[in-house]
Amino acid sequence: MTAFSIPDEPERGRMYREVVARLRAAMADHGVDALILLMNGHVSYATGASWPLLDGGLCHIERPVAVVLADDEHPHVFLPFREGAAAELQVPTDHRHRAVYLEFEDGVESFVRRAEALIRPGAVVAVDELTGAMRRSGSRLFADTSIDAAVVVGAAQLVKTPDEMACIRRACRITEEAVVDVQEALAPGVRQIDLSAQFVRRAFELGATSNMLDAIWQVMPSSRAAGVWTTHGDLALPLLTTDRALEQGDVLWTDASITYGGYCSDFGRTWIVGDEPTARQQDQYRLWQHILDAVLAVTRAGATSGDLARAAMAANGGRKPWLPHFYLGHGIGTYPAEAPMIGTDLGAEYDDSFVFPAGMALVLEPVVFEDGTGGYRSEEIVIITEDGYQPLTDYPYTPYGD
Amino acid sequence: MATETLPDDRALRVGRRERVLAQMAVRDLDLLVLGRQANVRYVSGTPQLWVAGTRPFGPICVLERATGEIHLNSTWDEGVPEEIGRERLYGLSWSPLTLTEVLKGFEASATACRVGTDSLSPTFAELLPQAFPNAQLVDGEPAMRAARRIKTDEEIVALRQAVGVAGTALVAAVGELAPGSREQSLVGALMEAMTAAGVSTPATQNGAWVTSREHPWRRARDDGRIQPGDLVAFAAGALADGYVGEVGRTAVAGDEPLGARGLFGRSKSLTERLFAACRPGAPAADLLDAYQRAGAALPPMPVAHGLGMGFDPPVVSAELPRSVADTTLEAGMVLAVTGYVWQEGIGAVFTRDAVHVTEGGPVLLTSSQGDK
Repeated sequence: MTAFSIPDEPERGRMYREVVARLRAAMADHGVDALILLMNGHVSYATGASWPLLDGGLCHIERPVAVVLADDEHPHVFLPFREGAAAELQVPTDHRHRAVYLEFEDGVESFVRRAEALIRPGAVVAVDELTGAMRRSGSRLFADTSIDAAVVVGAAQLVKTPDEMACIRRACRITEEAVVDVQEALAPGVRQIDLSAQFVRRAFELGATSNMLDAIWQVMPSSRAAGVWTTHGDLALPLLTTDRALEQGDVLWTDASITYGGYCSDFGRTWIVGDEPTARQQDQYRLWQHILDAVLAVTRAGATSGDLARAAMAANGGRKPWLPHFYLGHGIGTYPAEAPMIGTDLGAEYDDSFVFPAGMALVLEPVVFEDGTGGYRSEEIVIITEDGYQPLTDYPYTPYGD
Repeated sequence: MATETLPDDRALRVGRRERVLAQMAVRDLDLLVLGRQANVRYVSGTPQLWVAGTRPFGPICVLERATGEIHLNSTWDEGVPEEIGRERLYGLSWSPLTLTEVLKGFEASATACRVGTDSLSPTFAELLPQAFPNAQLVDGEPAMRAARRIKTDEEIVALRQAVGVAGTALVAAVGELAPGSREQSLVGALMEAMTAAGVSTPATQNGAWVTSREHPWRRARDDGRIQPGDLVAFAAGALADGYVGEVGRTAVAGDEPLGARGLFGRSKSLTERLFAACRPGAPAADLLDAYQRAGAALPPMPVAHGLGMGFDPPVVSAELPRSVADTTLEAGMVLAVTGYVWQEGIGAVFTRDAVHVTEGGPVLLTSSQGDK
């Protein structure tokens, strides 16, 4: 009765209007009159623009920048060529501007002149990043660091509109369809990087806008002691993909993410190379499924991150079924990992005070690991509803499962 | 690509770190707190997980000038050079407060007078003063840019490899161009070939697009379907061992339309002028003038930017008149030089080449592969 009606394909114009309304409501809640957004995921969220993302080292030369005003129903967007030519745009033409270069003093001066014409004197302005040239400029627009624009955007992002859910689900379906072929190709002698090559080809053919993550095909160690050294003594994850050839019986923990319409997918499964799971390995999967079921049983609007963490631990004999440097689960949207992060060093108080609203997207990724089995880890994405949850992902657990 | 994750070669690491430490001395920085991926790799020599797009600032790597010691945010030691050592690793954290406490605990933090960061978020602008109670927080990015700008010999080798992989990927994608194919499939072919050649981390992902016959730079059409006579631009960017290689070419789908040969000729004449402008001692503005002398309108993107780990100065764009006027090219810079000519009714010819500025003149790192 409370399930969301998620369209097969997102309606971009409606998504843009509803998201901007959410963002402006969050600005009102935080007492902010204007947002200056530099982070790719924030600009994408605020403007509905989606483009093929650059490497982190290149993406700040010329990058899309958004200015969102509390008293304007449309944000302004400053777009470089690469993104401007490729982006699907929603903002009206009189709100689109040519590129700005915030890494350079003259670039900042030019942006400040243009932004000051939009943002009234005395306005409360929040930014999400300060380049050195912005800090040095002394402009009133960047002077107030008491509110991080990321907090304002994060508040709006927490609840997804049905069209945003459709974007995430479409991203997941593209990923899963691409992964089907990769999994079929899995065999002794195949290199990790061969799996990546096949995955990116299919993902782009099927409509991915960007690859979000250097896909992970991590070969799990026979024991914690045999694994890579870590600061906490538990498992390392994720370890990078290399030319390494896979061997019969290798247990792989996989992780992949792409974007569609600006929204991310998240895929994770455990595979065995050229072999069926042993009885002990099946037990690992069953324990993982038992933990997931226990977590899902308490997942609903009004539950807290703490509730889910406790349910997971209870189902795992009192121990945390996640790695010390990670989480039991996390949100997802224009970033592959958004708030809430469940069970991290943000602490129990943070977890207990984080109450789930209906419409939140949540990735659950418990892990179990017993020496000699390679362990088990998979990821599932759900939407929080008033009385439970609604799954977005349904990829099979092969070769595990009953 | 190796079968295990290894630190960058010692000569590369040492050469880069020496440049950064020298810049810290020039600018009187006691500590550098780095959050940008490329800067972290430049200093630490450690391969890190690749995630596309911008990342929020976080203190991922701290370099101390007095000792040359590096602290690195990593939960494991795979790929971490021996000189950093396990004792100077601090694990992944989701709490800015935890990270601030970690920084505060470093021996040099209490006495540091000037601390540079390569970027900043409002959150860390508020928190970092607690970690460095006696320090002035300043912009550290100019020190990193000055260090990165001139390449060591080892870096030229690395850049050549990155450009080579990008070229291989581009050739594979051009090979699949035909009327009826789709932009997305060409991007898929490009990414697959780059990955199969050993680089699963793209520097750019806009791979292939049909250039518009009606507008100098807008999308030609929304369905991405390629029609006979389309001029299709290919852009390959590879991030190989941390270094960015970029190559751009344009090819015709099917039979060449009338006038295309002339446009390719203008493109060739423009790129020759652009390459000739890449001389030590030449003003960067010569690259903008090359367009005027070739009778071409300035393109809607920078005409050149430095290549290295991430982007390097200069960024040569008419939008940055003062930055460009202040810049003189120097031997040891490597530039990604962009050629772009458009003609109504035909489309655009886009090229991007990596040019090494040397005392002996411009040296093209891009092979001629993929040329029409």
